[in-house]
Amino acid sequence: MHIMAELGQAAIWLSVFSCLWAVTMLWMGLRHNNYNAVIGGRNGVVGTFALITLATGALIYGFVTNDFSMKYVVEVSSYDQPLLYKVTALWGRMSGSLLFWLWLVTLFGALVVWTNRRATDYLADYALIPISIVQFFFIILVTGLVEGVYNPLDRLPDGMFARDGAGMNPLLQTPSMAFHPPSLYVGFVSLTVPFAFAVGALAAGKIGSEWISRSRRWMMASWLVLTIGITLGGNWAYRELGWGGYWAWDPVENASFMPWLLGTAYLHSVMIQEKRNMLKLWNIILITLAFEFTLLGTFITRSGIITSVHAFAQSDIGGYFLGFILLSTLGVIGLLAYRWNDLKSPNRLESLLSRESSFLLNNWMLVGLTLIILWGTLWPVITEQVTGEKTAVPEAFFNQVVIIPGLLLLLLTGVGPIISWKKLTPSNFKRMFAKPIISGVVGGILAWIYLALQGHTKAIYSSLCVFASVFVLVAICDEFYRGSKLRSKRSGTSFFDGLIQLIQRNKRRYGGYIVHIGIVILYIGILGSKGYYLLESEKLQLGESMEVNDYRLTIQDAFQEEHPNFSLGGVVFAVEKGGKSMGTMRPARGFYHKAGQGEQDTIESAIRHMGLTDLYIALGPLPENVPAHVQSGGIVHVEVYHNPLINVVWIGVAIMVIGGLVAICEKHVKGNA
Amino acid sequence: MNRKRVKIVIASLILAAAMAFLVVAGVKNTSMRHFTPDVLVAHAQEVHNKGIQVDGLIAEGTTQWDPTKFQLTFAVRDREGQASVNVLYANRLRPDNFKDGGNVFVQGKYNAAENLIVASKLQTKCASKYEAAEGMTAQTGGTSTSDY
Repeated sequence: MHIMAELGQAAIWLSVFSCLWAVTMLWMGLRHNNYNAVIGGRNGVVGTFALITLATGALIYGFVTNDFSMKYVVEVSSYDQPLLYKVTALWGRMSGSLLFWLWLVTLFGALVVWTNRRATDYLADYALIPISIVQFFFIILVTGLVEGVYNPLDRLPDGMFARDGAGMNPLLQTPSMAFHPPSLYVGFVSLTVPFAFAVGALAAGKIGSEWISRSRRWMMASWLVLTIGITLGGNWAYRELGWGGYWAWDPVENASFMPWLLGTAYLHSVMIQEKRNMLKLWNIILITLAFEFTLLGTFITRSGIITSVHAFAQSDIGGYFLGFILLSTLGVIGLLAYRWNDLKSPNRLESLLSRESSFLLNNWMLVGLTLIILWGTLWPVITEQVTGEKTAVPEAFFNQVVIIPGLLLLLLTGVGPIISWKKLTPSNFKRMFAKPIISGVVGGILAWIYLALQGHTKAIYSSLCVFASVFVLVAICDEFYRGSKLRSKRSGTSFFDGLIQLIQRNKRRYGGYIVHIGIVILYIGILGSKGYYLLESEKLQLGESMEVNDYRLTIQDAFQEEHPNFSLGGVVFAVEKGGKSMGTMRPARGFYHKAGQGEQDTIESAIRHMGLTDLYIALGPLPENVPAHVQSGGIVHVEVYHNPLINVVWIGVAIMVIGGLVAICEKHVKGNA
Repeated sequence: MNRKRVKIVIASLILAAAMAFLVVAGVKNTSMRHFTPDVLVAHAQEVHNKGIQVDGLIAEGTTQWDPTKFQLTFAVRDREGQASVNVLYANRLRPDNFKDGGNVFVQGKYNAAENLIVASKLQTKCASKYEAAEGMTAQTGGTSTSDY
């Protein structure tokens, strides 16, 4: 069985050459307009993909066959690890995740070859060069040639092998953790493609909007997958970690959020280039930033420059990433300088009150937010370098600082779709804005009154958020309503048919509007769950109760369950609301005996959806025989969260994903409409 | 430059200034000194009664969990140095992975006279993604993770 590992090892080394071959052939072929050389280069890209697939397959084979002569397998897998987690151990640690990252870049390279096989120009071939360079960077890391990383297919020295592997942390053995890292990787890596098209277009001197439309679906896919990946991470934290929340502005979370913000900015600004032939330079800068930030995230989390509670094992690898970031940025700057004269736009912004400016403002806010978050994340490093005293900003900093830009962005999701191009006229304003503004103001005032009656007398931001949300919802629903009515009238069909036709005729636009609706819903969820959650901590004995909001929770019983690789011990709470029984909840502790790191017990929170609100119970440490402890009058430490509207967060993201899926279905983007 | 262009530049500058103001105000309101126990002990008087963050290891044998008072006390020791700081964390659950010698991050108010932090936030290094805590070794393979 060792033969697979050896084969994989050979494949990695061969890929060094196939990758260099691809770059050389593509470059020569494009320079001398030699079609055969270009084809050779494309084959090189596909060959690299085949080789890295073989290497990745060999590693997975090692996991599945429990080959504990392989160093990496020993570290992340073990005999009794369920098959799913054996496979997902591929990205369990750094070496393997680098191989996985590399495999994705080669896969996407091959997909670019495949999807452009009938293209009549060489644009995609130009894009393959930067893609191959990125591949080369990762291949070198994966070979283990550089200090600080080892080759994931390396064997233990001197024919040694382990009897069993260390296994994966039990906290991570849940489905959302199995899919959260790969979806972030897929999102990050697929950003490479639009970036490569931008660089390719610069190199080729074809800086129209062709490169944008050719990479549009890649960008959409990347954005969608990143959205899903970030949410899965939050959802995992919420369900598994026992602190009742889903987002804490940790450096690792920020590292995934910044490329998302930049990607979102780019998705909007390219529309200006397509419609008005402006912002050419800006779009290239944005996509470059988005790409570099995916690497920067890895740098931040791996280099150890930031102390994160999340932190990964630290290593020298951050330095290589920083080096690659600098080199690739310099490369883009060089190309920009070379094509400087082609980047000027013939058109200018005509008015500050126009759709163009609203998009510009959106870009401003998104990039501004990114910079704020970057600043906050790097603040400890900055202060230490500048003053010698390390100062950090806690979660509260981010929560405070994002509110105003966040609310402005929310407002823009409604303004953008209804404001006219070029210049807002009074008639446009009256026709499009009157209804949403009036509804928004009414909504905001009602929210203010409602919150005041609940005892929240200073809920200004909350009321503003409700104002903006209602404004956007009315604005966008009105867009759908007008369009559908017009269509149904024209074709003499029902309103519903008109709506379907409307979306089908312009999937990108209306898919985008659906995403905007999702954003509004998401904001409402964040407002409720971040702004108005309640936390009660209590120590209880059997038969005692505590109250949270309108709920009364009484410890009724205790239980113990045995599972194959862990046991579960917890208590049964009777839940009542206003004297009415709402059933029971069973928070617990999980006791893992063979978990790689020895004994470990974990919080297994109980979550109960009460409509859109969650009741969330976490238990403190308990001795392993929970029923005996509880029956003998032992104390149980309990934290209960009342999380209003938290399920609206997940619903909002789901709507965003649906909208994104609709938009990605659009094949051809119309030019000036 | 025509008038529109000037207007756009001015609008952008105002926006940039507003963002910068937000950041400065945010930093001013929330930022706190971040210490290792060694440095904290050396600067104890400067941060008496102030909010701080400390990052270190849970000192072996110092952890006391009083279930009836619902409070956790322990000491954070320096990774390299000798100094340690006492921590009191009351009425909250003890976090998972709370073990002697483990990494810990504490945020709270510091009392220089007692060398005590009354913690408002306590986090053990969480097992982010799949990465195990530093220094974890495979028991049988003879490999160690210290090489990456």
